[in-house]
Amino acid sequence: MKELKKKYGYTFMLLILAAIVIVFFTLTKGKQFWKPTVWQGMMAQFPEYGIMALGLMFCFICGKMDMSFMMLADFATVMAVRYIVANVTEGMSNSQVGGVILVGVVIALAIAVVGGIINGLLVTQLNIPPVMATISMQMVWLGFSTALTRGDTVTGLPTLYTEIGHKQLFGFLPLPMLIFIVLFIISALVLKYTVYGEKIYMIGTNEKAAKFSGIDTTATIIKTYVLCDVFATIGALIMVSTMASAKADYGTSYVTRCILILVLAGVLPNGGMGKILNVLITILTIQIIATGVNLFPNLNTYYASLIWGGLLVIVLILSTRMVEGQLVLFKKKNPEAKSRKLYKND
Amino acid sequence: MSEYLLQMKGIDKNFSGVHALDHVDFAVRPGRVMCLAGENGCGKSTLVKIISGVYTKDEGEVYFEDKLVEHITPAEATRLGIQVIYQDLSIFPNLTVMENLAINSEITANRKLVNRKRWEATAKEALSKIGYDIDLNAKMGQLSVADKQLVAICRALLFNAKLIIMDEPTTALTKKEVDALFKTVRQLKDSGIAIMFIGHKIEEIFEIADDVCVMRNGKNVFLGETKGLERKDLIYYMTGREINDDFFVPENISEKPVLEVEHLGLKNKFEDVSFDLRKGEILGITGLLGSGRTELALALFGLEHPSEGTIKINGKEEKITSPIKAQNLKIGYVPEDRLTEGLCMEQPIADNIELASLKRLSKGGILKKKDILADAQKWVDTFKIKTDDARKKANTLSGGNQQKIVLSKWLANDLDILILNGPTVGVDIGAKQDIHHLVHELANEGLAVIIISDDLAEVVVNCSRVVVMKAGKIVGEMTGKDITEDNIREIIM
Repeated sequence: MKELKKKYGYTFMLLILAAIVIVFFTLTKGKQFWKPTVWQGMMAQFPEYGIMALGLMFCFICGKMDMSFMMLADFATVMAVRYIVANVTEGMSNSQVGGVILVGVVIALAIAVVGGIINGLLVTQLNIPPVMATISMQMVWLGFSTALTRGDTVTGLPTLYTEIGHKQLFGFLPLPMLIFIVLFIISALVLKYTVYGEKIYMIGTNEKAAKFSGIDTTATIIKTYVLCDVFATIGALIMVSTMASAKADYGTSYVTRCILILVLAGVLPNGGMGKILNVLITILTIQIIATGVNLFPNLNTYYASLIWGGLLVIVLILSTRMVEGQLVLFKKKNPEAKSRKLYKND
Repeated sequence: MSEYLLQMKGIDKNFSGVHALDHVDFAVRPGRVMCLAGENGCGKSTLVKIISGVYTKDEGEVYFEDKLVEHITPAEATRLGIQVIYQDLSIFPNLTVMENLAINSEITANRKLVNRKRWEATAKEALSKIGYDIDLNAKMGQLSVADKQLVAICRALLFNAKLIIMDEPTTALTKKEVDALFKTVRQLKDSGIAIMFIGHKIEEIFEIADDVCVMRNGKNVFLGETKGLERKDLIYYMTGREINDDFFVPENISEKPVLEVEHLGLKNKFEDVSFDLRKGEILGITGLLGSGRTELALALFGLEHPSEGTIKINGKEEKITSPIKAQNLKIGYVPEDRLTEGLCMEQPIADNIELASLKRLSKGGILKKKDILADAQKWVDTFKIKTDDARKKANTLSGGNQQKIVLSKWLANDLDILILNGPTVGVDIGAKQDIHHLVHELANEGLAVIIISDDLAEVVVNCSRVVVMKAGKIVGEMTGKDITEDNIREIIM
């Protein structure tokens, strides 16, 4: 029992948090909150950034940071959408349109792979601190897509593509959610059962020791950035489908939101730790908060940044108080326990 | 007034079920060097932290200069004249020597503006206390450990210290630096300051300590003068068992060398290094810090890239470009610093042991989870690593047991050559002997071993051949009976 508590103590805490959030919105906005359409809306929304959070999770476990994933994904989708719009002509059959879309998606993913490799090379070969390297790349990708589009939205997608974001399988399961579930299961298996998963946990804990143990740290870190950016681009492709357009700066708030999710889930960017189950619970909780907040008409979208930024600060403060999965609010009780450091010194 | 500066009676301390200190008595006399000895985890650090006010005692009485001190806080300890110099020295590496020395008094005086002259005066005063000369404008981070330590001592003296506690001060020092440190310690002692040493190196205890307090499992088993104490007894007090130096006798040395190094050179690190290594022998490479011994080891493991010369493995010339390549050539390397280079502390023991064997323990990129745990458990058993569960984190173990993990990590691979860089640094004497015995066994089973160390006693006991390095060159080689500490010391300096 004690072992169980130690292992799942934090998961339990996250579930309590989720319950508190649900109870809060039930008490304040019960009638609106429990409408089926509200919950359907949630199910349609979270996959796009949930997938991004899963990708970023690999980076965090490996002790790396990627600030560039959203802007890179925006650039990738802008390119994909431009290709699709340019190549779909009237009178094409559905399968022909599908072929064009497929090529577009491949283009987007290829750009993500290149972006991931660039991030990985900057970090491993030039030893630029990950935050610096990826913030710079973020600006580069934003620059590319803004220059290409002059800041405009790219529209004119065929319905075959815009349907993806709204399609319900078997009448209840949104297609984006199915994609999320598949990627979630793959991620969970990769983390737990593959050599790659083992390597990123070890590199995240002590990169030097991993290198000294004959682990191909450079290749593993580059792979991780590629994985992160490919996941982000898949998320963005879904987002583009629901929005029926692409733009240089769509989803900018998702960067903060993904970091918030991961830190709250106990996947800290100093690496080596994190459970994917906790990430899942947190993604859902954050979606409930996002939807719930929208039910308050006074809290319009202008407050979104304030809410997410504020939450992130609170969670960061709490996360520095986490010791061995237990929340230690008052240090006096346990003076020997060192609080987890959020970032490595070196 | 009694003869004691600090007296502690019946000190007791519990940490959530662990009895760290069991009614310990302790006393320090002014003008003497007291060594607090014991293996890792015996309660030395806890006792020191109670003296310095970091921990509070559960029971017992503390007297400082015959006055009962009820509650010690770190500030109170400083006021009384107790200064602790921790292993990390608590210095500011980015500031200069002068700033490091002066900053405390500036802060205590609550000054807001910088007056360079005053800072300089404070710093000079501090240095003059032990007659130590160093560039005041040198960046602290660029000094050697020995110099940093002396600066830390000077800083302690600025607080009118009456008792200076040093936590394992010699760990990162070479013999020469240790001598210099001991000279300073004797000087301080003569001026009436009490010095308390924490350590477990037997030779050093006999060299410097007037009194010794030995702790084991939270109890003190010996408190008295070093004079008249037998080396054998001291070791027995520390470990609770008899330890003998078993010299390594090679049983079967292979005909052909497994490793041949010819005229190997790395710019500014070492040059023209040639030696060979056969299966079944333990080759010692010794030299002072900066003699190029570590760089040479790194070059053999693919972490440094030599600019000239050749390395032959089993008679075939090889370029060792990375640790992965080295591993494929069946070379293993146990690094100097297990904290930063050897272990992933927050990960399970099993994962650490199998970190270099993932290829063997996986199929098509999928881990064989059961095999990993079973294999790790096998190493835990053979090595007597003190844990009840290999799934526990590596940082739950003591230094000696952690070092055993690093060793197992490489032994879990099929190796021809094992390079050990400082294999027993910071390891207590019991675990040290375990590790030595194991290395002897491995060598006699046909492994070629290189031990890189500046612990001459270790080199003498374990090596069948020794190569001495100085300023990047090999300056001497000796075998068999010629390997003595004196012979090595003669050419090493």
